[in-house]
Amino acid sequence: MRRIACITASPLLTERDFTVERTLREVALAHSPRVEEAGAGLVYVDVAGLQGLFGDDRRLGERLRRRAGELGLPVCVGIAGSRLAALAAARLGGSVNVVDPGEDAAHLASAPLSLLELSRDMTARLRRWGIRTMGELAGLPSSGIFERLGREGVELQRLARGEDPRPLRPWQPPPVFEASAECEGGVATLELLLARLAEPAERICERLAHRGLAADRLEWSCRLASGSTHEGSVSPAVPVNDPLLVARLLGASLESTPPRGVVEAVTLRAHPVRVPPGQGSLTDPPRPHPRLVAAVLARLAALVGPQQLGVPQLLDTHRPDAVTLAPYDESQEPSPLWGEGRVRGPELSTLALRRLRPPVPASVTFTAGRPVHLRSARLTARIVTGAGPWRCSGEWWTSSPWIHDEWDVELADGTVCRLAHDGATWSLEGIYD
Amino acid sequence: MITAVETLPPPGRGPEGLEALLGAFSPGRLSEIVGPDSSGTSSLLLALMTRTTVGGGVVALVDVADGFDPTSAAAAGADLSRLLWVKCGARLRAGWSAADLLVRCRGFALVVLDLGDLPSTRREAASAVLCRRLQRAAEASGAVLVLRAPQHLAGSAASLVVGLHQLETRWTGLSRATRFAGLTSEARILYAQGEGGARWLIRWHA
Repeated sequence: MRRIACITASPLLTERDFTVERTLREVALAHSPRVEEAGAGLVYVDVAGLQGLFGDDRRLGERLRRRAGELGLPVCVGIAGSRLAALAAARLGGSVNVVDPGEDAAHLASAPLSLLELSRDMTARLRRWGIRTMGELAGLPSSGIFERLGREGVELQRLARGEDPRPLRPWQPPPVFEASAECEGGVATLELLLARLAEPAERICERLAHRGLAADRLEWSCRLASGSTHEGSVSPAVPVNDPLLVARLLGASLESTPPRGVVEAVTLRAHPVRVPPGQGSLTDPPRPHPRLVAAVLARLAALVGPQQLGVPQLLDTHRPDAVTLAPYDESQEPSPLWGEGRVRGPELSTLALRRLRPPVPASVTFTAGRPVHLRSARLTARIVTGAGPWRCSGEWWTSSPWIHDEWDVELADGTVCRLAHDGATWSLEGIYD
Repeated sequence: MITAVETLPPPGRGPEGLEALLGAFSPGRLSEIVGPDSSGTSSLLLALMTRTTVGGGVVALVDVADGFDPTSAAAAGADLSRLLWVKCGARLRAGWSAADLLVRCRGFALVVLDLGDLPSTRREAASAVLCRRLQRAAEASGAVLVLRAPQHLAGSAASLVVGLHQLETRWTGLSRATRFAGLTSEARILYAQGEGGARWLIRWHA
């Protein structure tokens, strides 16, 4: 029978605290070898079969809480058959709260949906449906959930019903990727030093590749015959685990800062990172490989400036050209195409506006209330047709309200452009193209 | 809805629909869209970007003149989360370099270099050599590479040149114009490897 203990720091943490995490881990590992770290100040412990050692669940919970208290960390403990029920017991109950076997669903029924850590879209959708608690979600028909929310919805409903098929992800100590090589008799030239570094570089790269990792920073340390230490590091543009590439990077780094003396030993350390695969599945369209994208984005940022590239995001305002740039995230999920927020398909024949940034100051001549001539640094011509004014305004409730009138005008040469008048000055906002 | 597109006479000679025109932009090739202001070049580019993002592809847009309007793109139904927008601040050389970097990065389905409306003396400075370089990079990466400019620049490096010019503007209103409704432009394949001469009428809706 599965029994999970959830230990949470009290009060709840909103950001990671390494001291708290270390304490929680120490408490948990002192009672069970199977411990999962689940976020800021939160660990799950597999406590199945521990009754013989520590007594029943309540005694075990008291023991966990007492041990954490001795280490200076007040905690709450919940024990149940599933992670979510244990979390609800820890957060919503007393300092130690035990859910009897088979009672997970009943215990979760009144718990709020916020325990599920839903996405913003999912939260909004469930709220519109009037679903506030786990019990309300658990009571919906599964077929309807699948039709409307897909597999994600069904999985959420199973969690809300106290079902927890996923095993714990046991915490493992972070691996250390370090290798050393002794230089018998000492090495005085850079070529020989690089030759000695090749072997530890190969060992580290082999271990990195074996774990599906790559190094985004390499540190080297040379012990000199004089007793001093010569150190340095190199950060490749993209994470690497290719020994030849690592050797070249180290060579370039050592050439720029060579050791001043005879080297007796050299140590190489790698900082590992996990690089996700470039393509999710066979049916996904191809995407740029994260390693390549990281390198290209870094070079683009150096070329045009880091603020000048990214994914465009429209701001929630009626102010014209209210756009911001978000960092490009290769792993970002695409926007829903046909779901909520996207009620119609693509309109390929949409006319585009080519904006002028910043807007070009202009002067407009009026006759009988109609614009007849435009003069600006970009376009100067007679106006043959014009439609407007269309008034736009907003943020009148703030200290920086805005208001302007927009005109669409056609010039004598056929160019159609958008003009704006803020009450005092005219500007050429863009050209329809 | 593609009813806005019709084939010019003789009927049935050319491919029908805007989709067919967009399908002429081949992977691994440099294509060019040329035309003056208000001819529909930006709209055709937007249609291509929309179709690519909706199909799940990732688009890189190198915007030399910072003229891209995300509001128009959102109205067209483009998935902005699949668009990497590089603004060059009217620095032409940075634009060429950025396009060169992006077209070599495998995985982008479409790489667009929009030269905007920079003065022609600046655009033509080194375009022939750079276009040949970009074309070879596109061949290696398999991306659809599109160059938009007022005039044809790429020379023989371009496998497809689509020229647009405006036929009419459309306004609504009874006694006088009260709203701009869109414009109609003619798209003509000025050059294509293996074929050419096809024409389309495209009605763009504001």
